[in-house]
Amino acid sequence: MTRRIAAFARRVEADPFFLASALSDYAHSEELDEQGLALALGCSLDTLSQLRLCRRPHPDPASFRADIDRIAARFAVRATVLAEAVRRADALAGLRHTATDGRGLLMAARDRGAEEPPSPTGEGEA
Amino acid sequence: MNRAWEGPLTEQEARDLHRRLLLDDPTAPTDLVEVYLDRLTDWLVAQNPRIDPAVCSTAAEDALLAVIKNPASYNPERQRLEVYLRMSAQGDLRNLLRAEQRHSRRRAEWEAVELSPVVGKYIWDEGGDPALIIERREDEPDEPSVAPLPDSVRAGLTPQEQRVLELMERRERKTAVFAEVLGLTHLPPDEQRQMVKRVKDRLIKRRERAGGRHD
Repeated sequence: MTRRIAAFARRVEADPFFLASALSDYAHSEELDEQGLALALGCSLDTLSQLRLCRRPHPDPASFRADIDRIAARFAVRATVLAEAVRRADALAGLRHTATDGRGLLMAARDRGAEEPPSPTGEGEA
Repeated sequence: MNRAWEGPLTEQEARDLHRRLLLDDPTAPTDLVEVYLDRLTDWLVAQNPRIDPAVCSTAAEDALLAVIKNPASYNPERQRLEVYLRMSAQGDLRNLLRAEQRHSRRRAEWEAVELSPVVGKYIWDEGGDPALIIERREDEPDEPSVAPLPDSVRAGLTPQEQRVLELMERRERKTAVFAEVLGLTHLPPDEQRQMVKRVKDRLIKRRERAGGRHD
């Protein structure tokens, strides 16, 4: 593993195409540093760089399972932790999307309450 | 394909790797980067010794990213994968340098507004544009582009024109250098560029009349 490859693996952390993005989200949510993430996956830091450069597994269940198995087998990492990392990252991405999609969940609830006060007669509730 | 990547791939191995990218094998991008990133970066740095190696490295990464995300853009029937990556990386390097050029030009324009008395220092220098350096290196023959003028013609030039001619013969391209020789540094950048061009065009015409070549 060369310095350039490790640097490239870090560069693609912001790119959702790569597994790097999912591993980064997972590490943040678990408050893991690089060593901690490698430890959780059961691999070395060099292998962590190789993992980062993999394509992120497809979200549909059949492909997801196959992708996780393939990556885990190739780099000898814990498949369950890898799957958990990607699923967690997918969930966090979904939440982020909701939060930035014009109005967040809480804002939506608050707006609805402000715009549509309950009818005194109890009618017209959504 | 679990082989440890230590050297260049055979043509068949490169085709297999490309096929894995097409088939969405999640581990294929890692293999592509491991095989080609260092080789491609080293090649770009060697081809472009005047360019910052960090920029070469980014261009190599961009070329690999393009193939990883759109493997169908490469046709193995037309050329080897490494050749394709080299061409792509060279193109990406040119694009990066052009983007930097636009950034520098905007910065110079802002400085021209804020620091007009010293703007001459920051005039955009087309000859120093790294993207153009690459294009020139690819296009130009090794021989000098300006043939010497016969002494009879040279004798008819003003000292300033003679100095400009010497600079042209040395393949100097910086407008600022010519502007200095011609005493034009007090003029706005656009006027400097026009005046320098006028003098150079005049000299080229004289050289043509005298039978010297130019490109």
